[in-house]
Amino acid sequence: MAEPLHARALAATTLHEIVQRGRSLSDILPESIQRLADPAERSLLQELCYGVLRNYFRLDAIAALRLHRPIKRKDDDVRLLVLVGLYQLEAMRVAAHAAVSLSVAACDELGKSWAKGLVNAILRNHQREAPVLPDRDELKFNHPGWLIDRLKSDWPDHWSDILDANNARAPMALRVNHRKVLRADYQRQLEEKHIQSHASAIAGEALVLMSPVDVLQLPAFEQGHVSVQDVGAQLAASVLEAKSGERILDACAAPGGKAAHLLETVSGEIELDALDIDPRRLTRVRDNLERLGLRARCLQGDAGEPPSWWDGVPYDRILLDAPCSASGVIRRHPDIKLLRRAEDIDALAERQSKLLDALWPLLKPGGLLVYATCSVFKRENELPLIDFLEKHDGSEQKIDAEWGRACTVGRQIFPGEDEMDGFYYARIIKRPSSS
Amino acid sequence: MAILQVLHYPDPRLRNTAAPVDKVDGEVGQLVDDMFQTMYEAPGIGLAAIQVNVPRRVIVIDISNDRSEPLCFINPVVTRRDGLEVMEEGCLSVPGIYDEVERANEIEVQALDRNGKPFTMTASGLLGVCIQHEIDHLDGKLFVDYLSEVKRGRIRKKMEKLRRQTL
Repeated sequence: MAEPLHARALAATTLHEIVQRGRSLSDILPESIQRLADPAERSLLQELCYGVLRNYFRLDAIAALRLHRPIKRKDDDVRLLVLVGLYQLEAMRVAAHAAVSLSVAACDELGKSWAKGLVNAILRNHQREAPVLPDRDELKFNHPGWLIDRLKSDWPDHWSDILDANNARAPMALRVNHRKVLRADYQRQLEEKHIQSHASAIAGEALVLMSPVDVLQLPAFEQGHVSVQDVGAQLAASVLEAKSGERILDACAAPGGKAAHLLETVSGEIELDALDIDPRRLTRVRDNLERLGLRARCLQGDAGEPPSWWDGVPYDRILLDAPCSASGVIRRHPDIKLLRRAEDIDALAERQSKLLDALWPLLKPGGLLVYATCSVFKRENELPLIDFLEKHDGSEQKIDAEWGRACTVGRQIFPGEDEMDGFYYARIIKRPSSS
Repeated sequence: MAILQVLHYPDPRLRNTAAPVDKVDGEVGQLVDDMFQTMYEAPGIGLAAIQVNVPRRVIVIDISNDRSEPLCFINPVVTRRDGLEVMEEGCLSVPGIYDEVERANEIEVQALDRNGKPFTMTASGLLGVCIQHEIDHLDGKLFVDYLSEVKRGRIRKKMEKLRRQTL
């Protein structure tokens, strides 16, 4: 029997699934981790996948420099194994000889024993002499050129900070369920378990952990005392300002973090419809609400096609956390840099405008729509809203806040700012007189 | 000692049934030594004699990380099987292929050691799976036989192609 798979070979096959088949890291990594029994190998696999994706453009350029012939598409796992080896030599505290010999040995596990000499030569070469790479932003910032260009034009003063933040590790942040326990009390419970955290100054229920832990180590996680959620995502509830007795729609609710937060923080009762297009992801909304002891009406349907799910009773407030490029959460999902294409952005913006148009008639006169994305591109944020306001009977209600920066419409948070992911929020109020 | 050549699927010789060892003599001792060296070199955690084209009922196993737990089973027989578990397996005769196989979760096995002395052992987890995987070889069976026909066909094609490339 062959030795069980090791982290290095598995990192190469995991990255292969992302690069060749377009699967997302968060989709495939749990499956890959399952295949390893040893906890040390499991964390190595995770580190290798995140590390290679964060440094992909630079590592890929080094590999291309050393590979004299391009590698066949079906052998791309060998190229990715080279990147895994290079990443260990460049960034990890792995003894160089171990990084080389274990990466070479991984060729057997991939069924590509013929590549051992090639992998060995590239990695040894790299140890001997530092590569001379062209001076290009793509390699310097480890992002695709189109993304860098877009950020430069959107944020001429901040683009390089955003790119740097995208390549940094994100902290694990918690949202304490105020229906069950207060933040200060929960923080003490964490301390008793030697989990260090600090309270966010920006979001009232947020705790940021000094180092990440398994959720099952969190006190009373199963009992719904706490959820894992970025601090930036925890601003939706306060921006929406739901009041007791109101009827509210969360139009793209999965996995349900923002909907749950609304229910946890509102004083009194609200009537909440949690809508999502994906039945499988809607199950996660149900599971989350159940764990937290909260209730909402979960609806499956397309937010862009209200006749198929709406009962005709208008809403006081609508939260549209729109599908987007996720360019603000690259630090948590570094695969976005490879999976997203330049041409996706216009298509997403079109979809966002369509959702705004479709949901607007569902809002009561005087009602409030909150538009949110986890993008940092103006094309997905203020531009569709500026367009929208020209066509509809609404006006912006400015968000008065300490966080982020005011845009022409709405507020933008950059990734890494006050430990948050990159988010965008805007409030549009419907004119009371019209219908 | 010598490193022996490992047969690769779909080599028909892997389908032979191995004959029991009558006498554990010096020749068998030499085979066991060579098999250990071949297995460690591969690297693998188990090897059956049939995989090195010796159709006799001999297997060697070492699931440790540091070659510290060598086990030799001659004429092994499983005398008890309990429970079921699924584990991902790979095989030195089917390089680069890993897939899940369901096997008994705990087994009792009787065999002769490399000095010809009988022993009984209970094994579970990776060791239990490995013993079952190697005993299958002695009966001409491979882990890919547990997979769907479609998967097996795909693996066979891949292996045949690989062989043509390396010849």
